[in-house]
Amino acid sequence: MHLRQSLGNARVQGWALLGPAVVIYGIFALFPLLDVVVMSFQRWNGLDANRVFVGLENYRFIFASDPVFWVAFKNTVIWTILCLIFPPLVGLLLALGLNQKLFGRGVLRATYYLPVIIASIAVATMWRWMYDPFFGLFSQLMTNMGMASSIPDWLGDRTIALYCVFVAHLWHSVGFSMVLFLAGLQSVSQTLVEASRIDGAGGWGVFRYVTLPALRPTITIVLVLSVINSLKAFDIVYGLTGGGPAQSTQMLALWAFTQAMQIFDYGRGAAISVVLLLITVAIVVPYLRWTQKQEEAAR
Amino acid sequence: MRVTTAEASEPDGTTRRVDPVLVGLWIALVLVALIWLAPFVFMIFTSLKTNEAVMATGAFTPPPEYAWHNYTEAWRRGRFDTTFSNSAVIALIKVPLGLAISAMAAYALARMSIPWGKALLLVVLFGTMIPFQVMLAPLFTMVNRFDLIDTYPGIILPYIAFGVPYQVFILHGFFRAIPKELSEAALIDGASHFTIFRRIFLPVSIPVLAALFILDFVATWNEFAMALVLLQNQNMWTLPLGLMSFQGQFSNDYGQLNAAIVMTVLPATIVYLMFQRYFVSGLTSGAVKE
Repeated sequence: MHLRQSLGNARVQGWALLGPAVVIYGIFALFPLLDVVVMSFQRWNGLDANRVFVGLENYRFIFASDPVFWVAFKNTVIWTILCLIFPPLVGLLLALGLNQKLFGRGVLRATYYLPVIIASIAVATMWRWMYDPFFGLFSQLMTNMGMASSIPDWLGDRTIALYCVFVAHLWHSVGFSMVLFLAGLQSVSQTLVEASRIDGAGGWGVFRYVTLPALRPTITIVLVLSVINSLKAFDIVYGLTGGGPAQSTQMLALWAFTQAMQIFDYGRGAAISVVLLLITVAIVVPYLRWTQKQEEAAR
Repeated sequence: MRVTTAEASEPDGTTRRVDPVLVGLWIALVLVALIWLAPFVFMIFTSLKTNEAVMATGAFTPPPEYAWHNYTEAWRRGRFDTTFSNSAVIALIKVPLGLAISAMAAYALARMSIPWGKALLLVVLFGTMIPFQVMLAPLFTMVNRFDLIDTYPGIILPYIAFGVPYQVFILHGFFRAIPKELSEAALIDGASHFTIFRRIFLPVSIPVLAALFILDFVATWNEFAMALVLLQNQNMWTLPLGLMSFQGQFSNDYGQLNAAIVMTVLPATIVYLMFQRYFVSGLTSGAVKE
């Protein structure tokens, strides 16, 4: 009887501790997540009391009749690929350099990391000013170099605007990859490095056969986080170009937002969201499986 | 940062041999760091120039005279008193409250046998990976249903909900690594889980909690997309929303615009520089443990 009582008690205690998090997470994160799926099969302007079920109509529309969707889709793919290559690569190079015993490396690390803590909307505002065609930083630098006649309209030119936005994102996000790689480099066995040095391996050999294999888990994590963060690209585009000019920097996350919150077509916005969600799940689930396998192997 | 390469070649003081590769590396890293800092210099210089000076002087020319009034003007026109205090109220309530709720849940999931506990953890872990932008519209609908648009609870509760996954994930890993002996004796002595959580687990996890606190403070301070949807009334705006609107209205007042950016960015920067050590450990403790 006594045992039973305390068991019941522990259960009550458990739910008391878990309760607030589960309730808030359930209401404000899980429910909207499910609701967006439901909404994608409905037509709704956000005001009506009734949400009309329309089946796959919203999906048919975004795939077949909405030209912006495919532009946003293409831009999201380009953006994701850029995010997979550059921030991790530059971050790795910086981390390898700053892992050496160098004078003032603490200051250098802090410098590279500083942009990460700046609000992305502030980064956007800052860079919009730097891209100012007349008095902005880049135009001034080009004028100083005697190239005043070939200054592009950085954010107004649809062929380069997306890449200009990406450069701002690169400046903003490299420090994040760098810190993860620096942490990963701590797990590289110094004994192995010494041993391979004695065996006559040069800098490249040590990197190729000791450092790189030890960094494998870190590399996977950095790549997955880069993909996830790249799909979340919203603030920086919203703040720098708002998706323009002529949708040339439009992305899925921003287009979903625009459809729902500005055009008031919640159903179409939700359908775009679901597409983005499916892409994320397709990337995340294999990663989760992989981590689980790693953990089981470690046990 | 003004150091000669001769100094740099004695990295740890134990060796005096100059390694030319390391010197070259150091120079390269410093040069790139200067590029990384250049936007800050440009922004701070501009924030202290009058519009005439912006047009007449080069990007990296220090202001001919300091136009401090840019800051006072930007503060007034950008309604910084309102947005600043809104941001402060939201962050100062959200961060401790959210962390407490996450820590409680992490303890229960890590140290008590909860039915469906494992599945629950997986659901929470999944939450760390979904882009929350996909559900801005249903989130708006949900908050609207509770009649909480343009209120502090209406933004704080969703912020907590989206902070829970990462924090539970990190704290769960940390709590599980605490030796069983530490809590078992107390349990046998009849202590409740509340007591064990408060008296044993919270004290030993202060470094992790501090790291998460800094991380979460900066994230909350910087959040834009959710605030854009949930705070429609200007009197409820947070700093990022205020900055966005400032850019829309006064983008040709270069000095003031840059002063506004500096004022928005400064608090998070100060917090980061003060607690840098915790910040980085918080970021990496979750990600790179495996």
